[in-house]
Order: sequence, then structure tokens, then C-alpha cells
Amino acid sequence: MGLMFLCYLDDLSDREARGFDPWQEGRDSVFVVRKGDSVYGYFDSCPHLEGMPLPWRKDAYLDAAGQEIVCAAHGARFNIVSGACFIGPCKGQSLTPVPLTFSEDGRILARLEELTITPGRAD
Amino acid sequence: MNIIGPDSLVFGVDDIEACTQYLTDYGLESVGEGRFEALDGTSVVIRSKDDASLPPPLETATQLRKTVYGVADQKVLDDIEAELSKDREVKRLSDGSLESVDDMGFTLGFQVSVRKSLSMAAEAVNAPGAPKQRDVNVIGAEPDADPRPRTLSHVVYFVPDHAKAEAFYADRLGFVTTDRFTGVGPFMRPAGTEDHHTLFMIQTPPHMKGCEHFTFHMGGPTEVMQAGTRMVNKGYQSFWGPGRHIFGSNWFWYFKSPLGCNMEYDADMDLHDESWKAREAEIGADTSQVFLFQHREKWAPTGPPPPNKA
Ligand code: FES
Ligand SMILES: [Fe+2]
Repeated sequence: MGLMFLCYLDDLSDREARGFDPWQEGRDSVFVVRKGDSVYGYFDSCPHLEGMPLPWRKDAYLDAAGQEIVCAAHGARFNIVSGACFIGPCKGQSLTPVPLTFSEDGRILARLEELTITPGRAD
Repeated sequence: MNIIGPDSLVFGVDDIEACTQYLTDYGLESVGEGRFEALDGTSVVIRSKDDASLPPPLETATQLRKTVYGVADQKVLDDIEAELSKDREVKRLSDGSLESVDDMGFTLGFQVSVRKSLSMAAEAVNAPGAPKQRDVNVIGAEPDADPRPRTLSHVVYFVPDHAKAEAFYADRLGFVTTDRFTGVGPFMRPAGTEDHHTLFMIQTPPHMKGCEHFTFHMGGPTEVMQAGTRMVNKGYQSFWGPGRHIFGSNWFWYFKSPLGCNMEYDADMDLHDESWKAREAEIGADTSQVFLFQHREKWAPTGPPPPNKA
């Protein structure tokens, strides 16, 4: 498993986020956010309680204005571009990025082979 | 001080529409002006985070703006006003309620309680050897039941100084500590209720200060399961549960919410009076990790961690 197809850039509108379940576990474990023509990928795991997925319902990763990533459990807020938490229980910590590649035909692919850590593991 | 318990929690939220849908789906009744009521009239109130009528926000991410306590009568309100006025401002609002702050900076309100007395049966169970609670030919499982939250039960705060916070509620407002996690914080009940706790506080670094969760009492464990399943079926994501707590014995199921904190269903909490001696449990030296550790322990069964693909 090297590159994992997530979705097309055109599937996402500006300031839209979407979760994916690349390991078919029955719940999303990574998500992407589109901001302008850029897309950012992160593990769906809050640094406050590692392994805890962020949204209160599927794909609800952003605040109402689509400006920030939010963890619904205790309201931590993260910068979309850097993944850094700037207010909330994990202030100063960051989401773990998922490296992405964009194909010429507009596909968003996760470079899973580069992953050396997986949030949610206690070890 | 005959404080009965929380009458209302007021939030300044980011997404009114999402919160409205969420609180309605949770089972509260929308009665207008952002108020969502349980069967006894206790409530959650949501307003836009920019609403100038709200008390100022804490400096953290929390969206909780005010905890409003219901008290027995006007005399209790007067007593609270006299007590808190000794060292802080107490406002009398146009609706007759009081507004002040606790020692951690959480805004508090006090009003003559809006709680209506309920007359409803609890979940009835039978067990071999015990007198019958549910009669012959009365069916226990109702797949179509649509359980409603009965009353606002408790709120849980992250606080930067649990000892100081506990002392405020005990010494100034007459709350009693029913149990305590050493170095973490107390479970407290005000004098006007037998419930094990209406307030639980958890020691955290100051930047975490805020509401961890709050909950409404349901009619029994089955209602917790059915209401929680109703949430899952509507697409809401569980935070922790279902399960049963040790301190308080309440059944629980927590859900993440667009209010920036978790929202729980609970049922069948222990009741206590003055003869109860508070228990104390050690959970560990690193108090900021205790909470994490507990959750990881408990919530693992709801879904396996991602496999390590490295
Ligand atoms: S689990 Fe994300 S803020 Fe607490
Ligand atoms: Fe609780």
C-alpha cells in the first residue's frame, strides 16, 4: 500500500473537510481540509486524548465559518495549514499530518508508506 | 444554603444551527429564544458567541458562559447575595436572578428554581429473590420508546486549582463533597439535593479551564442505552460509553457536541445525606494524565485503534 486514493480535489469545496477510513476500520482515521486550492491532511486524532477522533458527526471538522479545525470533545482549535492547536486543552501541540500527493488529474492521494506513527496506539 | 442544583447552562456558540439540531436530537424541547428544556423545565441555553448580553467568555476554548443554579426560595437568594457580596460583585439582573463569579472565574447565576416536580416511574427491574418491581405481563423492552431527558443533572469543570475551587463551593455556597479523586478534584452536591454530584471538578493546567461535559438524568439505564442509540443512529459520535461510573454509580454515555464539550446521558445516580463519609481514591501522581488514561481504558471497546501500518 503506497498511495491511497482519498477523493478528487473537485469533490471538496473551499473550506470543506472530509474524513476517510483507509484501513477499513469502520470509522474515519484521517481527514483532509481544502483551503483555496490547497489541501491539508491529518490523522483524525486529538492531541489532548490521543486516538480520540475530532468531529461530533461525520466530516464536522471545521468551525461554522470554515476557518479553523475544531475538536468537538473539549473545543480545541487548530490552524488548518499548520495543524497547530492555538487554544484549548492541547494548546501548543499539533495534529499529526498525513502526507498528501496530488495527481495531474486532480486526485488527492495519501502517501501512506511514509507513515511511521499511527495515533491511537498506546505503544 | 438551599441550592437545589443547576437550572440552566448558558453557552455562547459558534454554530447556532448545528447546536439547535443537536440539542433537539438529544431529546430536549426547543421552547424558543435559544432555550432547550428537559421535562422538568431545566435547560440548556444557546446564544451566538458574539451576543453582547452574555457574560464574557473565559480566556480558553470553552463555550460555556454561565451556570445558573436553582435555589429553594427568595430567602436563599438573599443569603447568597449577602455572602458573595463580601468579596465580589453580585449583580441583581432584571429577572430577579443574581449573577456573580466563582473563584476560578466561571460565571454563576442564581434564581428561584424553575424546576417542575415530576411524577414519573423509574425503570423497574426484577431479579430472582427480590420482591417484584415490574408486574406480570408488563413488558420491559420497548423498541419504539423515545426517552426524554428528565432534569439537568450535573456539570463538570476543568479547573486550575481544585482545592481552591472546592473550598469556594463548600465554604461559600454550602456544597458537600461526596467523594474525591486525590489531587484531581471533588464530586460535590449542594445542600438541596441528595444526588451524589451536581458538580465535579478536574484539575488541569489553566489553558484547559472550561466545561468538560454536562448531562441530564434519564429514567434508567435502559433509557440511557436507547437515547444513546438514538444519537448514534442519527450520526452523532460517541465520546465514551455506555458504561457505569464507580463514584456516583450513574450509568453514562457521552457524545461529542457542537457546544465544544461533551454531552452525556446519565441515570440512577447514588443518593446521599449528611451521614455519608466521602471516599477518596488515588488515581496517580500525574493528574493531567489520569483523565486521558481513564478514557483510553474505557473507550477502547468502542472501536479498535488504527493498526500500525508503519
Ligand atoms: S479530546 Fe480534543 S479537545 Fe479534548
Ligand atoms: Fe457525568
